[in-house]
Amino acid sequence: MTEQIKYTKIEHIILQQNRAEKEMLAEFENGDYTIENPLVKYNAYLINPLSAVVLFKTDKEVAVTVRVIGKTPAATISHTFPKAKTHILPVLGLYSDYENTVEIEAYRGKKTTLKINVPDVFNGKKIIDYMQTTPEYLEDNIIVVSPAGQDLSTGFDFAGDARWHLTIPCVFDLKRLKNGNLIIGTDRLLKMSYYMSGLYEMSLVGKIYKEYRVPGGYHHDSFELPNGNLLSLTEDLRSDTVEDMCVEIDRQTGEVVKTWDYKNFLNPAKVSHSGSWTDEDWFHNNAVWYDENTNSLTFSGRHIDAMVNIDYETGELNWIIGDPEGWPEEYQKYFFKPIGNNFEWQYEQHACLITPDGDVMCFDNHHFGSKNPDKFAKASESYSRGVRYHINTEEMTIEQVWQYGKDRGAEFFSPYICNVEFYNQGHYLVHSGGIAYDKDGNPSEALGPFAIQAGGSINSITVEICNNTKMLELKVPGNYYRAEKLTLYTDGINLEMGDGQILGYINDSREMDTEVPAEACGELMPEFCNAHIEDEYDKFTFLSRFVKGDLVLLQLEKGDEIHRYYISTTSRPATAMCVGTFLDTDDRNTRTVISKTGLSGTYDVRVIINDKKYETGVQITC
Amino acid sequence: MLKEVTSQEFKEMYQDGVVVADFFSTTCGPCKMLSFVLADVDKTLGDKVKILKVDFDKNKDLTDEYKVVGYPTLIFMKDGVEVKRLQGLQQKPLIIKTIEEQL
Repeated sequence: MTEQIKYTKIEHIILQQNRAEKEMLAEFENGDYTIENPLVKYNAYLINPLSAVVLFKTDKEVAVTVRVIGKTPAATISHTFPKAKTHILPVLGLYSDYENTVEIEAYRGKKTTLKINVPDVFNGKKIIDYMQTTPEYLEDNIIVVSPAGQDLSTGFDFAGDARWHLTIPCVFDLKRLKNGNLIIGTDRLLKMSYYMSGLYEMSLVGKIYKEYRVPGGYHHDSFELPNGNLLSLTEDLRSDTVEDMCVEIDRQTGEVVKTWDYKNFLNPAKVSHSGSWTDEDWFHNNAVWYDENTNSLTFSGRHIDAMVNIDYETGELNWIIGDPEGWPEEYQKYFFKPIGNNFEWQYEQHACLITPDGDVMCFDNHHFGSKNPDKFAKASESYSRGVRYHINTEEMTIEQVWQYGKDRGAEFFSPYICNVEFYNQGHYLVHSGGIAYDKDGNPSEALGPFAIQAGGSINSITVEICNNTKMLELKVPGNYYRAEKLTLYTDGINLEMGDGQILGYINDSREMDTEVPAEACGELMPEFCNAHIEDEYDKFTFLSRFVKGDLVLLQLEKGDEIHRYYISTTSRPATAMCVGTFLDTDDRNTRTVISKTGLSGTYDVRVIINDKKYETGVQITC
Repeated sequence: MLKEVTSQEFKEMYQDGVVVADFFSTTCGPCKMLSFVLADVDKTLGDKVKILKVDFDKNKDLTDEYKVVGYPTLIFMKDGVEVKRLQGLQQKPLIIKTIEEQL
């Protein structure tokens, strides 16, 4: 009989990458690599299988162009790097399941042609239904969709070919920073269902420069401030509420330098509810936007059907965009009065943004479509849209100046997630990433992850509109949190050498302070539980199956010191599931993350199931 | 004081003082944990509060009357009037704070 449940030590991806990079550089320094005979490292940073790094030296400083030859001439992706003698160049935009041709060409000099064989990184899975656009419109941009489920981040070119992909579940939003890097949620779960350890700043080739750990975890959205600091949506892990805080993170040190608790400007007991509202998730913050013109922050709150603007410095409430029905008198002065024709409020919206001229846009999921439960729309009668409002904060009026999607009805309806992007006047992206159908093919009342569990199907549709003409439509199977248009290369630095850093910290996990009497039976956990511990340097994850309704406590014990963590074995109906990536198809399986913060020394891990305390045979060192 | 009650007993006991009604199910993990938490609360507060445990499945009339839709649900009452409702497993400090606000 085994004396220990399954135990796996997981090394942080940044540490794996640091080692891989050192090995790559050592191989490079020990060899004689020239432009005719470069060192080629496929998937050098382990998480982007549609990339490589080529390394070589030239006698003189010279600019070099890297060219991934497209399946058609228009699909070729190239970039010219500044002159240098030592060249460590990312190769981006390789095709999956293809013998790629890559040209390396010195400025007015030698050209080397390489062949890079890439396996089918999608394992035969269908990843796209269609891309409708032209090479003239999309040029060398790709449309990247970020995960809301089991499908991972992928970028598609004008032809619908995947040219960028991550093999780790970096969830929620993905944005390009001013320095050309990406900011994206980490793949490290801090708390179910989707609260992550923080943010990764990474290059497109997949090198992670920094993990910004967020004490209360990261969810949904981040934003780069003009000074380079990062806003991250978060929460207090020890609070009874979720998704109702934002922090500003120092870009260099990773320290939290400012915190906004939404309970300071809204009273959860007084806000008007959306159809998905719960006590715990009373705000459900899914987006943040900083407006330099007014030095203000706008937060999108799905569960109050509103976008809320506060002063960056004082945190005082400035205005609220949303249906004022159900809000008490004391809040009415913050609401706008609609003017003009064809005005409609947004319901359970996502991805608020402020345009350069002060208009407010969002993806109006229009879930339920009303404040009144008697008037809640069924999925089959629903629609979603991108919408732009013009607001006058002197006269407190609001006018709807643009929308897209309403006419498409339920086919474009996403009750959750999604985004809009503003490129220029009249030029927008609208991503409906949460479309779901039940097993009979009807628009699903359940959110995507639950529709799938019940035998349904899901998809995402992304469109780009220019002066009311649709210029692009991408349809992919799977729900995707957001879509962004990116070029693979930037004019800045595309790849820098040096160790990635892990900054900041995560808060300690919430403990139960009540002791549960249980007989220490000395037995290993029952085989039925299929228990497993994944140990990381700053947290560990306990995965186990239980009978529904069991009372389960995980205990860390060191002499008289006992830390108790409750594990729920009763599934609760979820009204929000913006990222279902970590959900299990068997809802008896549980996933509990324990932060090592606040713990010190070596602890025995034991588990109480009802009235018996079992051994795991595992010790955790903190 | 902590006691599991029938509908009839509940109606005899809920109108005076501070009462916490715990609507629970014997098949629910969080309810089982909450029962230990409430026992702990009872130990701390003693006679200052009546904690009445109501079996969700056996007292349909009460769950309908109080529009209890899930378990565990804690309903805090002062002299028979509901003042606060909490759904799901709660920790001892929040329960004690909510009770003390009514004392």
